[in-house]
Amino acid sequence: MKIKLTTQRIVAIILAVISVALMATSAFGFSKRTSEDARKLLADMTVRSLLVNTGEGAVEAMVKIAVEKARVKAKEEGLSMSQRREAAEKAEKDARANLSYQSVDYSTVDNAPILNAAGILKNAQVEYYKKVEEEKELFIEQQQLIAPVEEEVQETLSIEEGVEEPLSIHGEVDMSTFVQSAEADALQAKVDEAYEVLTAVLMKVYPEMDKESMKTLKQTLLDLNYQSGETYESRFDRLIKYNDNNVDFRSKLMRNAKNLLLLGIFLFLLALVVWFYNSLVKSLGVPRIIIGLFFIVLCLGSLALNLNLRTLLSDTLVRMGMNSILVLAMLPGIQAGISLNLGLPIGIIGGLLGGLMCIEYGFSGWFGFAFAIAAGTAISLVLGYLYALLLNRLKGSEMAVTTYVGFSIVSLMCIAWLVLPFNSPIMKWPMGNGLRTTINLTPSYRHLLNNFLSFKIFGITIPTGLLLFMIIACLAMWLFSRSKTGIAMQAVGNNPRFAEATGISVNKMRIIGTVLSTVLGAVGIIVYSQSYGFMQLYTAPRQMGFVAASAILIGGASTQRAKISHVLIGTFLFQGVLTLGMPVANELVPQSTISETMRILISNGIILYALTKAGGKGNE
Amino acid sequence: MNKVKKFDIAQILRNNAVTITFVILCIVCLMFSGLQVSYLVFELFTRISRNAFIVLALIIPIIAGMGINFAITIGAMGAQIAILWVLEWGVPGFKGFLLAAALTIPIAGIFGWLVGLLLNKMKGQEMIGSMIMGYFANGLYQLLFLFIFGNIIPLSNPNLVIRGSTGVANTLDLSRKDGIKHALENLGQIKPDLAVYILAAIMILIAAYMYLYKKDKTKKPFALAGIAVLMVAVSFTPIFKNWFSMVKIPVATYVLIGLLCLFNYVIMKTRLGQQFRAVGQSGTVANAAGINVNRVRLIAIIISTILAGIGQLMFVQNMGSFQTYGAHEQVGLYAGAAILVGGASIAGATNGQALLGCVLFHTLFIVAPAAGKNLLGDAAIGEYFRVFISYGVIAMALVMHAWRTVKKKKSLASNLADASAKA
Repeated sequence: MKIKLTTQRIVAIILAVISVALMATSAFGFSKRTSEDARKLLADMTVRSLLVNTGEGAVEAMVKIAVEKARVKAKEEGLSMSQRREAAEKAEKDARANLSYQSVDYSTVDNAPILNAAGILKNAQVEYYKKVEEEKELFIEQQQLIAPVEEEVQETLSIEEGVEEPLSIHGEVDMSTFVQSAEADALQAKVDEAYEVLTAVLMKVYPEMDKESMKTLKQTLLDLNYQSGETYESRFDRLIKYNDNNVDFRSKLMRNAKNLLLLGIFLFLLALVVWFYNSLVKSLGVPRIIIGLFFIVLCLGSLALNLNLRTLLSDTLVRMGMNSILVLAMLPGIQAGISLNLGLPIGIIGGLLGGLMCIEYGFSGWFGFAFAIAAGTAISLVLGYLYALLLNRLKGSEMAVTTYVGFSIVSLMCIAWLVLPFNSPIMKWPMGNGLRTTINLTPSYRHLLNNFLSFKIFGITIPTGLLLFMIIACLAMWLFSRSKTGIAMQAVGNNPRFAEATGISVNKMRIIGTVLSTVLGAVGIIVYSQSYGFMQLYTAPRQMGFVAASAILIGGASTQRAKISHVLIGTFLFQGVLTLGMPVANELVPQSTISETMRILISNGIILYALTKAGGKGNE
Repeated sequence: MNKVKKFDIAQILRNNAVTITFVILCIVCLMFSGLQVSYLVFELFTRISRNAFIVLALIIPIIAGMGINFAITIGAMGAQIAILWVLEWGVPGFKGFLLAAALTIPIAGIFGWLVGLLLNKMKGQEMIGSMIMGYFANGLYQLLFLFIFGNIIPLSNPNLVIRGSTGVANTLDLSRKDGIKHALENLGQIKPDLAVYILAAIMILIAAYMYLYKKDKTKKPFALAGIAVLMVAVSFTPIFKNWFSMVKIPVATYVLIGLLCLFNYVIMKTRLGQQFRAVGQSGTVANAAGINVNRVRLIAIIISTILAGIGQLMFVQNMGSFQTYGAHEQVGLYAGAAILVGGASIAGATNGQALLGCVLFHTLFIVAPAAGKNLLGDAAIGEYFRVFISYGVIAMALVMHAWRTVKKKKSLASNLADASAKA
C-alpha cells in the first residue's frame, strides 16, 4: 500500500517525531530521578535551604540583639524619643552590614548530621501529615452529612446580571471545630522530637541561635523539609530558590520530565488528529474535535499543574449526572421538529414548583423526591401542553419565540416567587416578603441520588444513584424512540410533509415532543438541585435552556437531528471542560473569572455554529 | 373595499393593541405611583436624550427584513472600547467625545461587518442568531477587558485598572477632569418653551417650502403649520409651564436625534433604501430583481451597529459612568422592547414608532417601581414587572409575527389551491 505524502501527513509525521523525541527525553529524565547523583543533589539542596533559612534567622536574631542593646544604651544616655529611634535604626543598619559578611561558608559545613536529622524529621512528618489528612477528610464527610454550609446568599435587586451556573458543588466546611485524635498527637510529638534533634545540629553551625529563635523558625523549616502531598516537582521548585537557582541541564531535565511527557502525549494526539483529520471531521465535526482536544489539554494541564485529577473527575461525573436530564430534555424537542427547546425554563419552573411543594408539606427522603418529581411532572404537563399549542401555531420560527417566551415566564415567576403563599420557614426570607433566592435542600432530599450506593474506585467517587438515574432515563427515552409513537414523532421532525402524507398528525406529534421535553425539564431540575444541594429561584433558570442546548450540540446534535449518544457525550464533554477548566484557569490566571468567560464562549459559540449550519437550508 | 371606514376604529385598535395597552398601563401606574408629572417629564426628557438614538438604530435592519437586531449590543461594546482609550489618553470634554465617535465608527463598523457575515449564514434565524452573537461577543469582550487591556496592552491611567487584580476596573468614571461626562449637554441647554418656538419655526418653514416650491396643494402644509401654531399656543398654558418646569433640553443631543430621524427618512428615498425594502419584503424576489441580497443585508447591519455605537456613546456621556462589564448587556433587550411598544413590528418600523416607543417604555420604567411599592408594598415587584414587560413585549411581537407569517403562507397556499382547482 502506497501512502501519498500530503502536507497534512508531513505535518503529522513531524509532530509525531517531535512527540517521540520529547517522550524519550522525559523517560531519560524520569530514570535519572532515582539515580544516586540525583538523590544526592536533592539532599544537598535540602540541607542548603535549611542552612540558608536558619542563617537568615540567625542574622535576624543578632540584629534584634544589637538593636535592643542600642536602645538600652540610648535610654541610659537620656536621649529623646526621636533620637532613640534614630539610634536603634542606625544600630540595625550597622548590624546588618557587619553580619552579611559573617554568613557561613556552606562548603565547610558537615552535611551528614543535618541530612540525617532532616531525614528522620521527614519520616515523622510524613506519618503525621498522613494521619491528619485522613482525619480531616473524615471530619469533612461527617460535617457535610450533618449540615452543609449554606452559601452566601444575598438578596439583590440587580436582576440584570446573567446567571452563572454554580461551578463548585462542594460547600466549604467550617474547620474550626476540628480536633485531631490522640494518635495524631503522638505522631506530632514525634515530629517535635525530631525537630529538636535537627535544631541541635543546626545550632552547632550557628552558635548565635538560641532555642527561642529556633522556635520561631519551626514552621518555615518544617515546610521546607516536607510538605503534605508534595511531588518531585514541587519539592524541587521549593528548594531551588535557596540554591541560587543554578542547576545543570540534567537537573532541569529531571525537574521537567513530567511536563515533557505530557507535552509529548499531547503532540502525539495532535499528530493523530492531523493524520486522520478528514475522516475525523466527517464523523465528529470541527467543534467536537476542538472541544475534545481542549478537554484533553485540560486533563494534561491539570496533571502538569499538579491538581488533583481524581477529585476533578469525580466532580465531572457528578456534574454530568446532574445536568444530563436537562440535556436529555432537548432530545424530544429536536426529534419532534421544534428544534432547540430554548423555552426549557418553562419545564424547569414546573420542577421548581414541585420541589417547593415537597418542602412546604415537609416531605423528605425518597418519598419527598418522588413527590417532587410527581408534582413537578403534573405541573409541567399542563404548562407543556399550553406551550405546545402555542408552538404549533408558529412553525418555523420556534427558537426566537421560545427564548423570549421562556424569558418572560421566568421574569413573571420572579414576581410569583415574591407573592406565592408558601409558608415554610426554610423557603421564606426571615424578614420581608417572598421566597429565598436559594433554598437549602438538606432537610428534604439533598444528595439523595449522589450518595445512593456510591463507592470509590482509584480515588474517584462514583455517584452510582445519580448515574443510574441518568441511564434509566436515557434508556426510557431510547425505548420510547423505538415505539410506534416515537418513530412517528421522529418522522415529523425529519420531514413534516412526508409525515403528514403518511397520515401522521404533525400537530399531535409536536405536542407530544414538546410536552415530553418540558416534563424532562421539570425532572431534570429536581435531579440537578438534589445534586447541587440548593434550589435556585428567580433569574437562575433563565440561561439553563442555553446550557442544555449547547451541551447536546457539543455532543454532535444539530438543530434538526439528535440521538441519545449526543446527550451523553455532550454532557460529559461540556461539564468536563467546565469542571477541569476552572482550577486550571485559576492556576494560570489567579483570581479571575476566566473560567466563566470560557463557559460563555463555548456555550454560545456552539449554538452559533449550529445556527449557521441550520441557516443554509432555512432560506425561503 | 368601501366598508373599510366602518371597521376603522376596530382595525386601529387591533393593530395597535400593544401601544394602547401600554398607554393605559402607563397612566394607571402613574396614578398609583404618586409621582409629580413635572418630575416624570423631566426624567423622561433625560432618558430619551440617552436612549432614543439606540432605538432609532434598530429601524434599518427591521426594514431590511432582519428583525430586531439584538446584536446592537456589539456596537455598544465597540463604543465602550473607544471610551476606554479616550479615557486612557485623557482627552476631555467635547473633543474627547468626537475622538470616541471617530474611534467607534471603524470599530463598530468592523464588528457590524462580522455580524452581518454571520447573519447571512443564518437567514430566517436572525433574531436568535443576533442575540446569541451578543452573548458570544460579551465573552470576547470580557476576555479583552479582563486579560488583554491592562495586562498585555498596558494602561497607564491608574483609574482604569483594578489594583491587585487583573484587567480593567469594574466601573469607568467619566466625570473626572479628563472625562467626557456631559460633553453634549455642556454645548448648551435651552428652556422647553424656546425649544417649542424653534421647532414651530422649523415646521412652518417646512410647510412653506412644501406649499410654495413643491406645489403641494393638499391639506398637509396647512396641517403642519396649524400644529406648529397650536404647539406655541400650548406652550403658554399654565399646565405646560407646570409640567415642563424642570426640563432643560440639551440642544446637541436632540439635534443628533433629529438628524438620525432625517437620515432614516432620507435613506429610504435613495436607491439603497429601496433595496432595503425590497430585500425585506422577499429575499427571493429581490434576488431575482438583480439585487445582491447579502450585500444589502450586510450594509443594513453595519449601519445599525455603527449607529448603536454612537448611541451608546451618547448614553454613557450622559450617565457619567458605566459598568465596564455590564453596561452593554441589556441594550438590545430594552431598545428592542421600546421600538415594539411604539407599534413597530418585526417586519416594519418608522421613526415615529421608535420615538413613541421610547416615551412609553421609559414612562413605564419611571413609574412602575413606585407604583409597585405603593400598590403591593414591594419595590422589587415593580422592578421585576418592568423586566417582565420588556421580555413579554418582545415575546408577544414575535408570536404575532410568526402567527401572521404562518397565516399568510396558509392563505397563499389555499389561494393557489383555489386557482389550480378553477383551472
